[in-house]
Amino acid sequence: MTIAPDKDLQARPSGSGALPGERTHEHLRNFPPVEDWDHHVEYDAKAHPRKVPHEYMLVPTTCFNCESACGLLAYVDKSDLSIKKVEGNPAHPGSRGRNCAKGPATINQINDPERILHPLKRVGERGGGQWQQVSWDDALDDIAGRIRKAFVEGRHEEVAYHVGRPGEDGFAERILQAWNCDGHNSHTQVCSSGARLGQALWGGYDRPSPDHANAKVILLFSSHLETGHYFNPHAQRIMEGKQGGAKIIVVDPRLSNTASHADLWISPWPGSEAAILLAVASHLLRTRRIDEPYLRRWFNWEVYLANLHPDAPRTFEAFLDALEADYAPYTFAFAAAEAQVPVEQIETMAQLIANCDHRLAAHIWRSAAAGNLGGWQVARSMWFVLALTGSIGTVGGTAPNGWNKFIPHGPDVPAHDHWNLLTWPAEYPLSCNEMSILLPHFLREGRGRMEVYFSRVFNPIWTYPDGFTWMRAMTDPDLMGCHVALTPTWSETAEFADYVLPVGHSTERHDTHSYETHSSRWLGFRQPVRRVAMEKLGIPFTDTRDTNPGEVWEENEFWFELSWRIDPDGSMGIRRHVESPYAPGAKMTVDDFYRWIFENRVPGLPTKATEEGLTPLAYMRKYGVFEVANGLYRQDERALTEAELDGAVPDERGVLRKPTTPDSVPPLIGEAGAVGLVHDDGTVTAGWLTPSRKLEVYSETMRDWGWPEHATPGYIRSHVARDQIALEAGDLVLVPTFRLPTLIHTRSGNAKYLNEISNTHPLWVNTVDAARHGLATGDLVRLTTTIGYFVPRVWVTESIRPGVCALSHHMGRWRLHDTEGSRWVQGLVDITHPDGPDSFLLRYRGGIAPFSSTDPDSERIWWTDPGVHQNLAFAVQPDPWSGQQCWLQKVRLEKAHPDDRYGDVHVDTAASMRMYREWLTKTRATVGPGGARRPEFLMRPVKPRRRAYYANPEGGP
Amino acid sequence: MRYGFAIDQRTCIGCHACTVACKTEHEVPVGQFRTWVKYVDSGVFPNTTRDFGVMRCNHCTDAPCVKICPTKALFIRPDGIVDFDNSRCIGCKSCMQACPYDAIYIDKNTNTAAKCNFCAHRIDAGYEPACVVVCPTHSIWVGDLSDPNSGIARLVNTNPVAVRSPEQNTGPNVFYLGADRAVLDPLAAPVDGTYIYSSPDAQRAALAAHQPRDPVSGARTTLNTPHPRPWGWRVVTYLWTKGLGAGALLVAALAVLLDVDLGVLGTLVAPSIALVGTAVTGVLLVVDLKRPERFWYILAKPNPRSWLFLGSLALGAFGAVSTAWLIAGIARHSGHLHSPRVFDALAAAAIPAAIAAAGYTAFLFGQAEGRDLWQSPLLFWHLIVQATMVGTGALAIAAPAVDLDGDARQLLARTLVLATAAHVLMLLLEYLGRHASKQAAAAARLITHGPYARVFWSTAIGLTAVAAATASPSWNGDPIALPLLAGLAVQIALLAYESVFIRAGQDVPLS
Repeated sequence: MTIAPDKDLQARPSGSGALPGERTHEHLRNFPPVEDWDHHVEYDAKAHPRKVPHEYMLVPTTCFNCESACGLLAYVDKSDLSIKKVEGNPAHPGSRGRNCAKGPATINQINDPERILHPLKRVGERGGGQWQQVSWDDALDDIAGRIRKAFVEGRHEEVAYHVGRPGEDGFAERILQAWNCDGHNSHTQVCSSGARLGQALWGGYDRPSPDHANAKVILLFSSHLETGHYFNPHAQRIMEGKQGGAKIIVVDPRLSNTASHADLWISPWPGSEAAILLAVASHLLRTRRIDEPYLRRWFNWEVYLANLHPDAPRTFEAFLDALEADYAPYTFAFAAAEAQVPVEQIETMAQLIANCDHRLAAHIWRSAAAGNLGGWQVARSMWFVLALTGSIGTVGGTAPNGWNKFIPHGPDVPAHDHWNLLTWPAEYPLSCNEMSILLPHFLREGRGRMEVYFSRVFNPIWTYPDGFTWMRAMTDPDLMGCHVALTPTWSETAEFADYVLPVGHSTERHDTHSYETHSSRWLGFRQPVRRVAMEKLGIPFTDTRDTNPGEVWEENEFWFELSWRIDPDGSMGIRRHVESPYAPGAKMTVDDFYRWIFENRVPGLPTKATEEGLTPLAYMRKYGVFEVANGLYRQDERALTEAELDGAVPDERGVLRKPTTPDSVPPLIGEAGAVGLVHDDGTVTAGWLTPSRKLEVYSETMRDWGWPEHATPGYIRSHVARDQIALEAGDLVLVPTFRLPTLIHTRSGNAKYLNEISNTHPLWVNTVDAARHGLATGDLVRLTTTIGYFVPRVWVTESIRPGVCALSHHMGRWRLHDTEGSRWVQGLVDITHPDGPDSFLLRYRGGIAPFSSTDPDSERIWWTDPGVHQNLAFAVQPDPWSGQQCWLQKVRLEKAHPDDRYGDVHVDTAASMRMYREWLTKTRATVGPGGARRPEFLMRPVKPRRRAYYANPEGGP
Repeated sequence: MRYGFAIDQRTCIGCHACTVACKTEHEVPVGQFRTWVKYVDSGVFPNTTRDFGVMRCNHCTDAPCVKICPTKALFIRPDGIVDFDNSRCIGCKSCMQACPYDAIYIDKNTNTAAKCNFCAHRIDAGYEPACVVVCPTHSIWVGDLSDPNSGIARLVNTNPVAVRSPEQNTGPNVFYLGADRAVLDPLAAPVDGTYIYSSPDAQRAALAAHQPRDPVSGARTTLNTPHPRPWGWRVVTYLWTKGLGAGALLVAALAVLLDVDLGVLGTLVAPSIALVGTAVTGVLLVVDLKRPERFWYILAKPNPRSWLFLGSLALGAFGAVSTAWLIAGIARHSGHLHSPRVFDALAAAAIPAAIAAAGYTAFLFGQAEGRDLWQSPLLFWHLIVQATMVGTGALAIAAPAVDLDGDARQLLARTLVLATAAHVLMLLLEYLGRHASKQAAAAARLITHGPYARVFWSTAIGLTAVAAATASPSWNGDPIALPLLAGLAVQIALLAYESVFIRAGQDVPLS
């Protein structure tokens, strides 16, 4: 067992008012005291040992790399307003002043000599690499004019905002609401749809929020010690849990850094994870190592019995017997056979979990749930185990994210009543969220067109499966009227845009955000740090462009301005939503906007600010974060407030509902009007966000939307299950999604200190498979998918299970022209059509090489490998339930052909469309009760009024 | 006060945050690192694991880099931090040879030595180093090891800890908790065919083939940083030119003492070779500095303990004696000097000066504590023998052009044969015998069985032996052409050997 060095030394606050991440060890502080942040003096590191002082203003902001949103503290040199470096923000309760490598590397992104500093407009054909610098004014007028025309002509569905990782909560949604437009399109399908559906079916909430620090058993279907939501905050707490004696179980076919810290590493055949979990559940039921009072109170067990065992007595005991019998087939032996692992490993896992003492902290977000057909059942099975052990919402257990997340919205905007069938098509009524991966296929199929399409810090040509089909749609002027890329850095997608508009990095923009890093609820504030410093120093500016490099803007001001220009006279009802709440008729400023939010929407903040003699906005500018609440456990038992109870009447199942109309707007998650639950024992609680306000062990939603066979947690054999893979014929399963601790998608390409650490892209192949194929490290191989092939280089290793190969995410970056791109990471390519217009071949013309710039380090690039852009060769494989792109690939491995070159990617886009149609046939286009397009309680980023849920507007319940 | 680090590998997640925070704090050039994370994968699936090791300067109590630094650019502060002042650094790279931990590099922006300095500028202001602040899992601990009640002292004293390369006896002050042996021992895990997400540098990759894998764990390094050899052809050549010059005058002095008249060979040729050799040596040394314009700092800001400084004095003294000898020789031949007693005095001065010039390098290499191959107790004597061999060889090449008596020819031939044979014997003794450390043995193996084996056996040994054999028929002075051939051969053979010796010595990984 690991002995904690000295727990009291872990974080010894320096005083009663200490910040969460502030500590003093033996006279050494980790951060300057907050009182000094406006005038902190630090010695020059490079002049040392001579004492050369510099005076800095320390301005908090938030990292914009991964979704963890860790706090940062920017050191703004007061002599020239340059940003010296970026450290952590000790005031942040999630990250507590600590960061991963990507936090401090932000300074590289700020100083990247290849940044886009001015708005650019395409000249010539899309992708032709010719750009003309334009003014923001001209760009805004053109874009606003197009949007206005579309709205005036009722073509609302032709305007879309497609967002990669948002890194903010609620701002863009509000703007789209103001536009009365159902144009929100997120990246969820390449990310977390599977995990979301599996979790939402239980309680409405779609993410776990494990309390790792207090856990007894930590179960990870993920690699949170190195990546993911929420890498740094979770890694801190997983290690605290470990030091406190927790056992760590990691389920991953690959030896991740996380797996290397596991007490039990199970390396299963991909897709078998739900079987493993159900075997654990079965063991718990069989041995009755379950929390019966919890299940009796919170499972909708009567519904389970009524639907599956109508003849059984309606008693909880009968339910348990039925449940045990129903899951009896999930034996250890069954799971071990599915997972191709020793049965002892499953037993050990079950025993560890059985002894978790209500303290099982578990997490899944992407991994198996994002890899497999039916992967959502992995998340669902995980929550089954959490529920059985009584670990939901307990100290050391796992809460739903909603308890630990807080989204304050700007001034109210009425909901829209549109339903965009390009993002919410009839075939996927349960999708979580928009069917964004199919957009180009829908467009090419004639389901619609885009007049104005915003790709916002988003790179679908690179990140999404079947990028060549994206390229085809994006270059077709009939399908795409105007593509606006809002991005801080060049991307493969931006190369095909009509406008490339530079937006800021983490130190150059305003946002608020909140994530479930632990049993707390905090609100983070990202801010343009030079702007904040200039304001404090009394240096005048007009907007954030004046404070950022070049003409780099922040998005908040951009959207305010664009909205204003769409509706300059206010006749469309848009302008009023971007008017200042403090100066009627005047345009909203970022100060107005956040002042209003912080004054009106954040409980406790005004009081806290007053205590410090600050306005709420000044408080947030000073600390960059506010903790709304902490120690949040068992919120399902939360008593309802008077306001919540007012007018609420229990229905026949005890669900407290307020009256609604077709114009009622459901909350982000949950049904309009529903507020809580009256239990059989008469107690009244907030409960869950499902229609029953309980944990739905039987999902009537699944039944009602045409999938009764999946109404309960189950195991769906993956498209890459063992019996689908003919090893002897050369098949392997490819894991193409694993991340490195140092990179983040295509966002970090301009961070030299990250690139120099992570710069090759080997295909992990187990020695057993390598021997069968006659491969050695360094050999080129061709991996053939359903739509094409690509050519990576092999690493023969013991760190992955046999039968599975893996190629990391992040790499395989390319650019078409020397005039644009990020030469730190992107190799020059040619894209040709060797077998006609449907065929695409991407081939490198050159690797990564040193180049001249204002940064002498660009001459010192020693790495050469741009990687292999594997995602291009993946067909869209949307899970028919969640819509999740099923990332795992069945590949045929062979030695590279004589004409193959490293990095080649060949795709037949006709096959892409065939595969799209093939996967579409797996769906059942159904409607729910009353003709509902989608269950109302499921999350939808911009929820319309209830009437929009019904194809027949007069319908509805 | 003794600042130190404790690095808890039990909780380290290998995330590189420390690496990047350090780089941004100090604006370290791309490709160079003050701290970095090493990965080692071990075992056979499914019993596989990965271990991490955070590598950096050990802030040694007995810091070899400080001892060797000729200008006191590296120094130990009263609080134990091994710090540096790049305004004093001349870029001689000797600290990189002295450090047994691969911790020092020459900053590409300043061309001066740099390394982890404990963020002394932050310590002085009361702040933790940048790597400590950023670490997500708080796996890097810092504090006063001399205070038994400090957190770090308690941590280190109540847990099993390990240090890197304890056999170097440097008193490292970076203590590892829960670190795998294969991570800390630079020889335990040869690099894998590729790194997990980077690529091994050519030097490490080439070596891996000659480094045995652990038969039990099969440990292989799957991520690390490159540490190219600091010294190259200039130092190789320096060893030869210096030996040539010192040896030539040494033999001339020997002749004077033995009362053998080498004629113009002794009065003009030998001091000329000595002077040119010394001058070229000096030029090579200055040119090899990364800050050659600061070469004079060696004398202006000297570290009297550094053999780079002491060696400069030796070379200077030898240069002075050589100059005096040459002047005396010219005076003698131009008829201004008549008394041969002057040469007796010069010889008495030249012998210790030549021995110092030729041999001081053994002490310098002795201070290069990171290179175990260079730590041989034979080295001093070996350098004298080498100098004698190439110095005599040079005189033998010139001999046919001048009029020499039999004694002189005999002296040259016999000295050449004896020195050459001694060199071969010492090489065999050195490389076929036992080595004091695993690292020295590994380097020796690279020479005898590894990438350098061909050059070593064919040229360093083979050609030298052939030279000895070639010259031996002239044991009594004739024919004079054979020592000439041998004299040519030993120059080539020694250069070949020094290139092997210098490269192999720096090839063995230290991290």
